[in-house]
Amino acid sequence: MIRLLLPLAGVVAFFLLSLATVRLARSEQPRRFFLAYAAALLVATSAVYVQVWPLDSLDDSAGLLSCLLLQALLCLTMWNSFYSLLWGFSGGLMHDLYNEAPLRHVDLLIRSYEGDAGLDRILARRLPNLAAGGYIDARDGILRLRWKGRVIALGTLVAFKTFSLGMGGGIK
Amino acid sequence: MLMSLVIAALAFLLLQTILVAVLSALRPTANIYITIVVVSLVTAPIAFVADRTLLGQALGGDGRLFLAMIHLAVGGFLFHFMTLPDRSVTLRILVELLIAPGQTLSTDALTRRYSVRTMIMSRLDQLSAARFIEIAGDQRIGLTRKGLWFGWFVTGGRKLFGIASAN
Repeated sequence: MIRLLLPLAGVVAFFLLSLATVRLARSEQPRRFFLAYAAALLVATSAVYVQVWPLDSLDDSAGLLSCLLLQALLCLTMWNSFYSLLWGFSGGLMHDLYNEAPLRHVDLLIRSYEGDAGLDRILARRLPNLAAGGYIDARDGILRLRWKGRVIALGTLVAFKTFSLGMGGGIK
Repeated sequence: MLMSLVIAALAFLLLQTILVAVLSALRPTANIYITIVVVSLVTAPIAFVADRTLLGQALGGDGRLFLAMIHLAVGGFLFHFMTLPDRSVTLRILVELLIAPGQTLSTDALTRRYSVRTMIMSRLDQLSAARFIEIAGDQRIGLTRKGLWFGWFVTGGRKLFGIASAN
């Protein structure tokens, strides 16, 4: 079981590398670095593991696979914490409620997201990103799905049906 | 050897996915994340004793524990996967476009179908149900101890990672 210290070391390295990238390099696309670090650290963990515990038996192979899956899961958890909690909608609401006491009222909170004119804060951030990523065309206030967006949307719709998620998007 | 283990991991994932889908269909209002955690934990003993069936040979004590860890790890991946369709605003926008006539919408029409008020009210209801906040009769929002901790975590995390503005 001491082998499971390897993925713990891997995820600590992932955290430190990610933090250094965001704080020092200030990359526009940190997710590319995160992905590269996660992949490189999986390779490093595999290399260390087979040096210390050669794959002589099925038990050793099971140990390697569980270490790799555990490390990948911990890295994904950290990644998700970064993008879903710190950048996400609910996290953002809690951030606003925690830091801005005047917003602790339903109508005032909603008004702060609606803005004065044009797109609300939620769409204003997401629509340009979807257009830049080639998922939609956005011209003159008209949004049109592109093939890349269609594939993702179809997959999402299948997940809605398979897991009885309603229409997703955080709406219950 | 590794290939048979990978196939075993996929079998664990398939088992958990099917069970979660069936339980979600039976209880659509239940919390999907709790369902995943319960399914993963309850079925972990199956992984512990499935070595002969799935791998064709017996594992030692550590090997069985590793097999159970593999099972729990794939349950963790299913948990993370579920946050995408269930929570993502971006994916919901794409689905709204998919089901719209001609897969085209104006921004006004999109806003009517999936308004910021609806989004925020739903999130506030969920945060309230999870006891992060309390909403009084006059619509004032109070942060519970759990909510204060969450707010502190997000604020500290944003400072740590230098995130100036988000949502």
